[in-house]
Amino acid sequence: MKPFRTLLLVTFSLSLLAACTQVRPWERGLLAREEMAWRTNALEGALNDHIFFSKEASSGGSNAAGGGCGCN
Amino acid sequence: MNFKKASHASVIALILGMSFNSLAVEEGDDAPGFLLPAIQEGQPDISMAALEGKTVYVDFWASWCAPCLKSLPLYNEMYHKYKNQGFEIIAINVDNPVEDGLDFLIDTPLDFLIPSDPDGETAELFKVIGMPTSYLVTPKGKVELVHMGFRNGDMEIIEEAIEKVLAAN
Repeated sequence: MKPFRTLLLVTFSLSLLAACTQVRPWERGLLAREEMAWRTNALEGALNDHIFFSKEASSGGSNAAGGGCGCN
Repeated sequence: MNFKKASHASVIALILGMSFNSLAVEEGDDAPGFLLPAIQEGQPDISMAALEGKTVYVDFWASWCAPCLKSLPLYNEMYHKYKNQGFEIIAINVDNPVEDGLDFLIDTPLDFLIPSDPDGETAELFKVIGMPTSYLVTPKGKVELVHMGFRNGDMEIIEEAIEKVLAAN
């Protein structure tokens, strides 16, 4: 079980890394900028999604949590 | 055996981590006090203590938050409607840089108190979970309503709460 303990210790230590921080809701201004959006042109994005769907017979995976005000 | 202990420990750690949200300011809590500079230069500092005895609506907003911008002119109307009854609004701007907030105010002048909290210290004090979040504080300093987000129909909910507090005090 020693390798398991080491693995657990390493995993918890990773969370202490300075770069792994939580962006507070009031700090999301930079994420809300247009250049930080996954796609800036909604119509182009919709077209690309449609082409992807027709070629791949599947969809999704093109969006992710991004900027914005973080409200409901 | 060790795996069982490790899994118990991680579940406890997870629950403790999730309890961060339970420290957020909720309805019935005392509103935290704060002292912030006004967003406009040359204006006096703004604090909750100076408005003791008034019904205060504390709102956290930023220029990059679309629902916030939608709500502010409506709050301005609300302010004028109730200010003669001892109602005040403190709209805390969390823009960093502050100029972003000032640019918005050039186009949309507002008549209530607007402090600036660019480092988010007061937002941290209130443990704001999302933007916008507003807190209706009674004259006794208790939080009557916590309102997150801003959608169509929210003004009715907020004004109902304000009228209830103003009537009771």
